[in-house]
Amino acid sequence: MSYYPILKAPGCEGWVTLCNFSPNNWEIRDVSSKFINVTWAEGGKWRSEYLGMLAPDEMRTITIEEVSGVIHSNALPLLSLGAASLPTSSESLPQIVSPQTHVPNWRATLGLSSAQSSTCYQGEIDPFPPSGSLLTFGPFIQFNEGVENYLILLNIEKSPIVRSSQVEILDADQVVLRGRAEVVNNDATIISLDNLGFGQNDLPVIVCRGMSAIPLYFSKTSDGSFLSLEHTHPPASYVIHGKRWEAQKVIKNLWFARTAQ
Amino acid sequence: MLLYMERIRKKLWNIMQPLTHKPKVLGVPVSDLFIWRNSKDWKTFFELTDIGGLFVGCDDSVSRFVKFLVFDNDGTLLLEKQISLTCNKRQQIDLSKFLCNVGCEFGTFSVFHSYTHQVVSDLGSYVSDRGYISYCYVGAPLCAYVHGNHDAIAQLSNGELLPLGGISIRTREYRLQHALLSATLYETGIVNHSAKKQHILCRVISTSNGEVIKEWKVRLGSRGCHIFPCEVNQSQAGRMVIISHLVMARPLIFKIKNNKLDVFHG
Repeated sequence: MSYYPILKAPGCEGWVTLCNFSPNNWEIRDVSSKFINVTWAEGGKWRSEYLGMLAPDEMRTITIEEVSGVIHSNALPLLSLGAASLPTSSESLPQIVSPQTHVPNWRATLGLSSAQSSTCYQGEIDPFPPSGSLLTFGPFIQFNEGVENYLILLNIEKSPIVRSSQVEILDADQVVLRGRAEVVNNDATIISLDNLGFGQNDLPVIVCRGMSAIPLYFSKTSDGSFLSLEHTHPPASYVIHGKRWEAQKVIKNLWFARTAQ
Repeated sequence: MLLYMERIRKKLWNIMQPLTHKPKVLGVPVSDLFIWRNSKDWKTFFELTDIGGLFVGCDDSVSRFVKFLVFDNDGTLLLEKQISLTCNKRQQIDLSKFLCNVGCEFGTFSVFHSYTHQVVSDLGSYVSDRGYISYCYVGAPLCAYVHGNHDAIAQLSNGELLPLGGISIRTREYRLQHALLSATLYETGIVNHSAKKQHILCRVISTSNGEVIKEWKVRLGSRGCHIFPCEVNQSQAGRMVIISHLVMARPLIFKIKNNKLDVFHG
């Protein structure tokens, strides 16, 4: 089963609602009580702490405030629901033993709240291979006055060893570099998309050759009254059926070559 | 033996019941059936991207466009619009410009791309637009974004529409993994992306005692959609279950609290 990260974003606090019931009635018949664990990377190890049990059919919301007493750093907290508590220290991200579903995946509600509003999506994250890369097109920037736009790159890997990679933000049409940032593994890297010179008709393309990540787009009014959060699909989702991941390679090869010049 | 029996049980749920049917002819475009909302309180925008251009770059020798097909909530075609694509540019389409005087406040729409590069067909794949929509509620300074959900419908070269959503032999439950809280209005959008009319049952269950708090039934035409409004009381935090013959009746949730909109998929 997957992990559920407690997100972070400027002016907001993250939370996760875990659900101990299957998202459908046919892939899993019986659901048992599950161990809630929080896992984070610290000092070159994965650390885990047991947070309690979740009975069948129950839901529990866990906020960043609740885990801050356990995690004494800015590490990304990863919640999980499993059949056992996780080892307190490990060299590799613990594998969560629990029944899985696929139509749809067993998810949690991942949210961000300001004092006045909140936003969420149904999500989960599994470890990316360290050889992975990222290409995404993000038409989410909002231009109203007082609106702030951020890209949040969510990555976890099996290894707890800290590494980073360069992410480039370009204009897809002119292939002009508009910004560059460092993305760190096992974390949620926040990058401002404002003041990069993008206009209403520009299509931003985000390229990272050395790391995979889930690209989340977060917009907020500067007072936090209004929030928006959504992720983009991987390029494979531009097609259906057949060899979708080969189709993704075609797009990635083209754009990695274009943006390398 | 138990494992074997479990495998057989799951096979019975899957055999001849794909999530998404495959069009027989390669090269035909596929689209989601996105939900549009249009009223004094609601505006809908679609982020149009030239998908063909992402595969091969900007080839000016090929004219690329999309056909927007807009349906009412019963799935009846209301209008069709052709829009030229601008390669590697963002094109935000304001649906309300199409939807003056259509007589209903919500429905579905599809976006069919005119061009499928040979490289896509050679992989046995179909170009599919499951792109991004934003909804603006009561003139808010910020729209709420959500991605597409299903590879729902194909348009054949003769213009015929082919819904692709799979139908289950037995009824299935889609259990939304989200806590429904008080003081919040949840408007749950369900689309029938199958070729046949479907009976949809939307049920809200109390998280404290498992009792059914509310229940709605609707009969949805192919390509049609319905929006179930739901509020729970202070003492009745709940969760939602959608029961139908759709293989995956994944809903779109419009969550409104203090006049502020959040939107997400199940």
